Amino acid sequence: MAYVALIPLLPAFVFALMAPLSRAARNRVRWLGLVGVGASLLLSLAAFAAVWPGGHGGEAAYHASWPIAQVGGVDLSLGLLLDPVAAIMLLVVAIVGVCVQVYSLGYMHRDERVGWYFAVLTLFTSAMLALVLADNFLMLYMAWEVMGLCSYLLIGFWHEQEAPRKASQKAFLTTRVGDVGFAIGLAVMYATVGSFDFDAVLGSAGSWAPGVATAVALLLLFGAMGKSAQVPLHVWLPDAMAGPTPASALIHAATMVAAGVYLVGRALPIFEASGVALTVTMFIGALTALLGGLMAAVQHDVKKVLAYSTISQLGYMFLAIGAGGAIAGMFHLVTHAFFKSLLFLGAGVIIHAAHTQDMREMGGLARHMKVTSVTFGIGALALAGIFPFSGFWSKDEILYAAWSHGHYVTFFVALAAAFVTAFYVARLWFRVFTGPEQNDHLEEGHGEMLAPMTLLAAITTVIGFSAPFFSEFLGHKGHWPDPAIAIGSSVVALAGLTLGWWAYGRRHLVLNTRSLKQRAGQGYTVLEQRFYFDITYDYLVIRPYMLATEALARFDRDRVDGVVNGAAALWRRVTEVSWAFDGRVIDRLVNEAARGARVAGANMRRIQAGRIQTYQRYMLGALVLFMLWIVVKGA
Amino acid sequence: MTETVNGVVFTILAFASIGGAVGMLTTRNIIHAAFWLLEVMVAVGGLYLLLSAEFLAVVQILVYAGAVSVLMLFVIMLTLRRREDSVRPVEVSIGGGILAAVFGVVMYVAIAQYGDRVVEMPAAVPDTAALGELLFTKWALPFEVASLVLLVALVGAVWWSKEEGR
Amino acid sequence: MEVGPSAFLGLAAVLFTLGLYGAVARKSAVMVLMSLELMAVSVNLNMVALSRFVTPTEMTGQFFAIFTMVVSAAEIGLGLALVLAIYRRTRTVELSSIDSLKG
Repeated sequence: MAYVALIPLLPAFVFALMAPLSRAARNRVRWLGLVGVGASLLLSLAAFAAVWPGGHGGEAAYHASWPIAQVGGVDLSLGLLLDPVAAIMLLVVAIVGVCVQVYSLGYMHRDERVGWYFAVLTLFTSAMLALVLADNFLMLYMAWEVMGLCSYLLIGFWHEQEAPRKASQKAFLTTRVGDVGFAIGLAVMYATVGSFDFDAVLGSAGSWAPGVATAVALLLLFGAMGKSAQVPLHVWLPDAMAGPTPASALIHAATMVAAGVYLVGRALPIFEASGVALTVTMFIGALTALLGGLMAAVQHDVKKVLAYSTISQLGYMFLAIGAGGAIAGMFHLVTHAFFKSLLFLGAGVIIHAAHTQDMREMGGLARHMKVTSVTFGIGALALAGIFPFSGFWSKDEILYAAWSHGHYVTFFVALAAAFVTAFYVARLWFRVFTGPEQNDHLEEGHGEMLAPMTLLAAITTVIGFSAPFFSEFLGHKGHWPDPAIAIGSSVVALAGLTLGWWAYGRRHLVLNTRSLKQRAGQGYTVLEQRFYFDITYDYLVIRPYMLATEALARFDRDRVDGVVNGAAALWRRVTEVSWAFDGRVIDRLVNEAARGARVAGANMRRIQAGRIQTYQRYMLGALVLFMLWIVVKGA
Repeated sequence: MTETVNGVVFTILAFASIGGAVGMLTTRNIIHAAFWLLEVMVAVGGLYLLLSAEFLAVVQILVYAGAVSVLMLFVIMLTLRRREDSVRPVEVSIGGGILAAVFGVVMYVAIAQYGDRVVEMPAAVPDTAALGELLFTKWALPFEVASLVLLVALVGAVWWSKEEGR
Repeated sequence: MEVGPSAFLGLAAVLFTLGLYGAVARKSAVMVLMSLELMAVSVNLNMVALSRFVTPTEMTGQFFAIFTMVVSAAEIGLGLALVLAIYRRTRTVELSSIDSLKG
């Protein structure tokens, strides 16, 4: 079973091979990424087969660890843990990874830095595979950060333009806010248990003080919220759509954003020990599911609709875990990974063909792009939760979990979110694929773009039927959907689809934005402004920060000058008075003094303005203070 | 049994190094300053010998006295347009003086408190062969990393110092 | 006359203090780099001395001193290369006239 280690290592090796090459050479070997991820997929299949029979009842099929460092007498190690959950995640990541690699060969082939794109994409896949296989929280955190870096690099891939550059920074900083929580959580965890290992931490979680368990769980949840774009840390994901579309499909739909869900799923015993944290998880998930869906319903950019939809669906997963349906949440993670990456890849083809991302400028694409419209339609139906596509099954399990654990409020919120989801799905599909044609030269995508989409569509169609076996594989009792809930959710989804069709699908009654705005009035504005999250952050965080920095800068700039100028002015006034008495001698003296003061002021002002030695002085001053503190404290 | 450091030799070397440092800071000629620094380095190399760190003493002379000083002189020469530019006023910094004074006092207190926890000099010091053996067994990984650091620095230095316009 | 560790520590402290003053007071980039070297060498002296007195057989301090030397050699190489690059761009090595390090 030692080949398990190769699963994350092979793509990492490919990255190490590609990174030092020159740009031209790297562009030429861009297929290497596919080789690395493809090999990982084969090994993942083998690993899955090894775990398959019965799933060992949730036990690990393979566990190995290598110590890397000793800190304060405790070994820190890199370890691999292959259990049923990891085996499934491996398959999901590797399959989507291969699909995106193949697709990107067609989508990105004209970009001049295509080699670097593939290198980073491969490194990302490696990190995600390592995260899935980690046997301790520290390694998980390391892989988590590598993914954050890759996400940053890929969002800002077209860094010649301003929007991707800003979006990458926003994504990096926002997720970092969450990561700080994660890191503090790890520290508290370590202080409590003295280990990062899943076995040691999760095994003892039940015996922690409830306060500690709650603190750790909430801090981990905060990290997960950043990565998985949960309200209120979701603002980076829509902007992240400035990156290449296939990268969005892999990172911002299927894998990285699901890592937060995976983390919460892994750390579930801590959350269960706390109880409060589970409830918080559920409410944040429910809120995100509903708000994300509502915001998706008013976006015009195809990719942003999908981005908000991803936020909403991730909220669904958090909701499921919080409501006691961790298996349902994980299953939704799996199905969502497939159908949402399918939708993103489809969006890529659409954008390629229509040369715009604005769906108001699209229409009638179905006549020219049969494969895309059908596969996209399958993904859309899965997202809406229509039988027999995968989303129906997983959404149903989530609803069932919420209902059977008595979380009725959450259940109805989830149902409302399902309705909104169906509505914006219909809006998206009808707007893009039907109606009057607005684009010239519509062409279907290349073969290497359509093949992965077809594969993903096939998986989306059949994977739902594995729902009962999925639970059994993870060591729980499986069941087929509860008929009442299945019918109820289907009715809601169909209602949403119908409303969407009524508003956007009928040939002559296309509801344009203005009339919708008039009818919905204030509510529409709130949605269009995305519940004012960005604006709130702008006013609460960014502007005060900018003001503070500006004030400091002004203080630096003006303080010395101001004092000196004031002194000079004062001196001059005194001079004017004394001029009458003392004539030129004293006048000149005073003027000289004022001039001297001004020169000194100008000199001091320069000290504040970017000179390296000033900063060095601050640094050494801090060092001296630090030493002073040590000596005083020691004495 | 205990060994002792020869107090006379130590005193000479200590004065030589401090004198070199003071000379470096007070000279008006920057080329002279480089030579004063060279003196400090050689004196410290002698102190290493007193501490039975022969290998380090040799490396100190080779690296600092040999390589770094020559490099310094090269850069000084390259950045002087005229010979007279090497002579410059000695800047006096009150802030720096205060900073250094505070630091000196702090260090004095610290050494007075903790300096003489170990007074006796232990005997039985392994020789350079033992050091080499440890360097390539117990410290092999840091050693390799250090060589990587040097390589990166080398590449970086070449990169920065090459002419503009590639 | 017997010399204990405090003598070495004291000497190193004096050298470090002088280096600290030089790094702050001098305005020529090369002089600042020299002062930094002075500080690095005093740290090394500390480590070798403590190695001799505290861990004479393991020689831990000596190994640390070796690595410090590596780092300071790398630093001086990079620093001088930077000085050259700055000189080529601005025709000066006076730190007081290099003020582009601001937002």
